[in-house]
Amino acid sequence: MKGFSHFMSGVAVASFGPWAIDAALQGNPTFFILGGACGILPDTLDFKFYRFFYEHDVYVQPDPKDPDPQKIAEEVARAVQMGVDGGRYIRLKLGSIRLGADFWQQYQVTIDNERKEIVCRLGPVVNTGQVPVEGTEKPGAVGRAPLPAPVVQTYDADLKVDIFDGPTVGFAPRPDGGFDLEFLPWHREWSHSLTLGLFLGLAWALVSCCFGAWSVAWQGLATIVACYAIHVLEDQLGHMGSNLFWPFTKKRAPGLHWMHSGDGLPNFTAVWVSCILIFWNLSRSQPALEHPFPFWKLVLVALVVPYALFGALRFLLDRGRKVAVEAGDDADDEWNDMKSS
Amino acid sequence: MLETFLTVLLSVLAGTAIACVLGLLPGLHIYNVMGVLVLGVLGLSKAGIDVPPEVYLPAMTGMVVAWSVVNTIPAVLLGTPDESALFTVLPGQKYLMAGRGFEGTMITAVGALAGAWFLLAVVAPCAPVYLPVAQQVLKGHMHWILWIIITFMLMSEWPKGGNRGRAGWAKFFDAWKTLLAGLATFLLAGLLGFILLTASPVSHEVAFQNIMPAFVGLFAVPWCLLNMISAADVPPQRLSKTLDLDGDVVLRSVWSGGLGGGIAAYFPIVTGGVGGMLAGHACAQREERVFIMGQGVSKFIYYVGAFMLMFVPGLNLTRGGGAWMVKTLYVPAGRSDYYLVLGCIAVSAGLSYLAMEPLAKLTVRFVSRFNYRHVSTVALGIIVLMVLLMTGWIGLFIAAVATGIGMLPVLFGSRRLNCLGILLLPIACNMSGFGSKITAFLGLT
Repeated sequence: MKGFSHFMSGVAVASFGPWAIDAALQGNPTFFILGGACGILPDTLDFKFYRFFYEHDVYVQPDPKDPDPQKIAEEVARAVQMGVDGGRYIRLKLGSIRLGADFWQQYQVTIDNERKEIVCRLGPVVNTGQVPVEGTEKPGAVGRAPLPAPVVQTYDADLKVDIFDGPTVGFAPRPDGGFDLEFLPWHREWSHSLTLGLFLGLAWALVSCCFGAWSVAWQGLATIVACYAIHVLEDQLGHMGSNLFWPFTKKRAPGLHWMHSGDGLPNFTAVWVSCILIFWNLSRSQPALEHPFPFWKLVLVALVVPYALFGALRFLLDRGRKVAVEAGDDADDEWNDMKSS
Repeated sequence: MLETFLTVLLSVLAGTAIACVLGLLPGLHIYNVMGVLVLGVLGLSKAGIDVPPEVYLPAMTGMVVAWSVVNTIPAVLLGTPDESALFTVLPGQKYLMAGRGFEGTMITAVGALAGAWFLLAVVAPCAPVYLPVAQQVLKGHMHWILWIIITFMLMSEWPKGGNRGRAGWAKFFDAWKTLLAGLATFLLAGLLGFILLTASPVSHEVAFQNIMPAFVGLFAVPWCLLNMISAADVPPQRLSKTLDLDGDVVLRSVWSGGLGGGIAAYFPIVTGGVGGMLAGHACAQREERVFIMGQGVSKFIYYVGAFMLMFVPGLNLTRGGGAWMVKTLYVPAGRSDYYLVLGCIAVSAGLSYLAMEPLAKLTVRFVSRFNYRHVSTVALGIIVLMVLLMTGWIGLFIAAVATGIGMLPVLFGSRRLNCLGILLLPIACNMSGFGSKITAFLGLT
């Protein structure tokens, strides 16, 4: 899911703690801030910290003055060959090509298992908004290198590199001699584990106990663990999954494949449902509401009716038209989301 | 009865016409003009000439509505970024750099019209029923809502550097330059906000313009300076005959823009930019046209919706500078005022939209005819003159300080939205009850 959906889910989970609302009514926003921050923290750890310390076996850094697709293809092939020779996991970094303050050379790497080759194509020059600059396409700029072993991709997409940072891919050896291609292997590893949430909660509790704030200790522990966990569990709804019990588990547990992390409707629904739950929890804390309302009425007015109206309008407007829905990918969505932020 | 109707109609027409002209000027906010109008009405009242609310209320409504529609023109057509800043501005400016500035402007205008429909057909009937209930539940919680918005704003900015080289601390520090610049911008702007809101050096006679010089310095001046230095050439602009829009795009734009504008209109101190950012994250819309049109919806709902809230029967809520200024002259009294304002919004929104095409074409011709560096220099001159006339030399000094802060995001490529720390930080601290401790620590009280 997107960062804001996680953030709001965290705030919603925090609002279930009566202590959070009591503290807020006395001017103390700590538990709500803690909820939102812990809701987004796993991605923050990955994208703002860990990725800069993640070592790679092969760095592909094309020359901006003379980007050569052949060299890029050969470097990717070399990475796969290293995996074949060493029988181990290989990390490959595809560097971006910055041509000016706002211009980037786009390129894409395709792994073609049928033809047993790695193909690199130079695309157009794009600006930082990823908009191609007219007249910069290079249809003939293609590099090819033999693929040393089959590489299984979890999603059907090319590895596209353009603005800011280029992606990391990992080649994980398979028993059949081939490799699994993992996009952003540094993402959703240790940071996306329930155990880390527990550890952070305990750290908070320990520090609070040192100051003698016992109630703050257990209330903070509960808030942190629950809000961190909601991020991890929400990510399990997607394809990529998370390493749920690191360090006891070493690999990501596959997700439920219910959605892609960049999908509009599930993200908005998560945010909206969170808002409704927060509102409900706040209303419950009011001793004497002028117009009290039951939960079902809130859900009806705030969720069912608007969604039904929106759905009906959309159905009417899109009737008879083919609406193309872009296929997403969890890691790719989050990577692009980060870059466009 | 007919006389009152004609008075209201003429007033709303006059307000709309004034705002359509003033909305073309870069850097001038309609609240500045409304402030002068309020002073004028109060002055006349002191002199024994009472101006009836049927005159100034529709006029002010027309001003807010027309400005929120027309002001897109200078934002898109007169704010050309240089290549390094292109990413940090609205896609509207990308349209300009692609020779499609007119199209971008008109898509935003369609968004504003869609926003007017949404406000009048959906929000207005529901508001008197549901908003008082929501207000009763939320009124004690505004402070922490502000805090979580601040938290998300700061936490959701991702590093833009650290793209090359081997893993390690050097890469980390390179990446964090933009984030630290963003944090510094937020904190410095917050510090300036504490000073201006606690012990403003601006004369008390123009206290309602207190924050204006700072806003001009934080947002408008850096933009003009950047244009003057870099002076990117504006490509020839095409006047397209169609906008390539369909009902689905309009619906999705109203969905995301309405949410963003609604958040900004309802919650105190949350501006249209922040609301737009939150809605953008919430709705996860990838399409550029939806984003541009959503900006039009959002801006309309933010300004006009906030103004409208004051008139919602049973709500008793004042949001936005326009409403606060009107409140110094008049306290709304029931449904008749609500319907009056809704009618004025409908008339003014329709007229402003019709004015958009000729005004946008006129501005496109102006931009194509003159060197963009000169256009930016003139825009900066107008802005400086406005600040000087309204707040004097001290206002100009505040604008200069704010410009220093406003240049940080431009130079480091961080989010310009961090400049809103000027309001968010001091108000959040005050609402949580510890603002006075901070001002005492700073020696301001």
